[in-house]
Amino acid sequence: MKNREQLISAATIVLTLTSLAVTASGSALLTASSQQAVEQLKPPPVSSADKRTLVAFENRMKSYVKLRNALKAKLPKLSKDSTPEQIESYRKTFEERMRAARMGAKNGDLFRAGVASYIRKTLRTEFQGKDRAELRDVIFDEETTGIPLRVNYTYPEKKEFAEMPATLLAKLPQVAKELRYRFVGKNLLLVDRDNNLIIDYMVDALP
Amino acid sequence: MNKFLASVLLAVSLVFATFGNITYGQAVAKGTRTAASVSSPLPLTLPLKEGSVRFAVIGDTGSGTPEQRQVADMMVRYRGVYPFDFVLMMGDNLYGGESAKDFQTKFSDVYRQLLDNNVKFYASLGNHDLPIQVNYEYFNMNGKEYYRFKKGNIAFYALNSTYMDKKQVQWIEDELAKDTSDWKIAFFHHPPYSSASKHGSDKQLREVLEPIFVKYGVNVVLTGHDHVYERIKPQKGIYYFVSGAGGKLRSGDVKNSSPLTEKAFDRDMHFMLWEAAGNELYFQAISRTGETVDSGVIVNQKKK
Repeated sequence: MKNREQLISAATIVLTLTSLAVTASGSALLTASSQQAVEQLKPPPVSSADKRTLVAFENRMKSYVKLRNALKAKLPKLSKDSTPEQIESYRKTFEERMRAARMGAKNGDLFRAGVASYIRKTLRTEFQGKDRAELRDVIFDEETTGIPLRVNYTYPEKKEFAEMPATLLAKLPQVAKELRYRFVGKNLLLVDRDNNLIIDYMVDALP
Repeated sequence: MNKFLASVLLAVSLVFATFGNITYGQAVAKGTRTAASVSSPLPLTLPLKEGSVRFAVIGDTGSGTPEQRQVADMMVRYRGVYPFDFVLMMGDNLYGGESAKDFQTKFSDVYRQLLDNNVKFYASLGNHDLPIQVNYEYFNMNGKEYYRFKKGNIAFYALNSTYMDKKQVQWIEDELAKDTSDWKIAFFHHPPYSSASKHGSDKQLREVLEPIFVKYGVNVVLTGHDHVYERIKPQKGIYYFVSGAGGKLRSGDVKNSSPLTEKAFDRDMHFMLWEAAGNELYFQAISRTGETVDSGVIVNQKKK
């Protein structure tokens, strides 16, 4: 045990100094780096025309959320310590009721031409920067082939989700907490967080 | 010296020392590659100090394969000599479907002995996990995709790296800013640093999280996603680990010449054991067959 203490003690002395030196020299960069991260998460400036487009998109999302939350309120509440059976039953019932309530839903109901154009433009801008390759690495890292693009159908539960990079999410129009953007190849989907239904999609959203 | 620099110097002054063949307590270690047969005593490099915080780490577990069960069996055996209280999960908790049966065959059946002995699991979500898992009784997520909990002098931050929206980033920053815990450990699925060929370092995620972690003195970051074990050389004072082979293995996936690697193991599945005692945080990575593949201690200078 004494040997162990000596070993740690010796390593501590040497490595403490190294650690402090690295920390001290890195601290000036730290502020800049932290500031840079904050900047990356700022939404882009929008024109008044774009603002109107985004407000209209937000209103369409609100209508969807109002409908889904009304249906959700009629389901037995899912507690924070649910059994697998309760979770499965909840998810399936929610999905079925939502699909029935949106029977006539079609592609473009939420992603209308104006907002689709805004999103494409935003993504094009983001993919022109120095991080383009890294963004592609992240989005195309997962296996999402074979996922059908169909409104009011579920995102297949056996398929994985592509990671949504934080820097990209910050630039896209904000979505309600009940909804999620998901990339499937170059296509962008809007998916319900709890029942996993595809609400709408945009083909070739990525450049 | 400005206030910021002073706080950084105090907060992020960690020292690392590995101990190779040093043994403790009931340990019968002869180096860091000691295998345990069913009848032999289990090699333990953790000190088992009184009042310490003891936990295990598993990642990418939800395959439901015999190998996942073998890792779980080894965890049970280890709990006999090292009674850990809880387990952190690095995500991908359920692969290939999330029916009630899947929860059973890929989780609760596999870890039944631990669950029955009141070992608590704290999950994070991976890219294979539906967000509705946050309501599962045994994942202790309290209905949240990202959450914080405290054990002893350690604050744990479970994050959802698959969907890192602005709201979550803001939450992390707000929580860390007021956190006065001695140890801050973040765990999530995608590794900011990894030397594996399949996925590798998630630089996008790193760009967003690392400045916050450094600023607020996060000590250790635990991740999965790549189905290997890797201890990364300390980056800006933070100790990063990839522990993503609790139920799936990508054999030979770690790049041999990676400058990031301090230690790697990609020949078998594994789990980790951790022990926090005062200003020391010990760890031991153990393979499916009981081989100790890595061990060491991180010393928190702030507490000394």
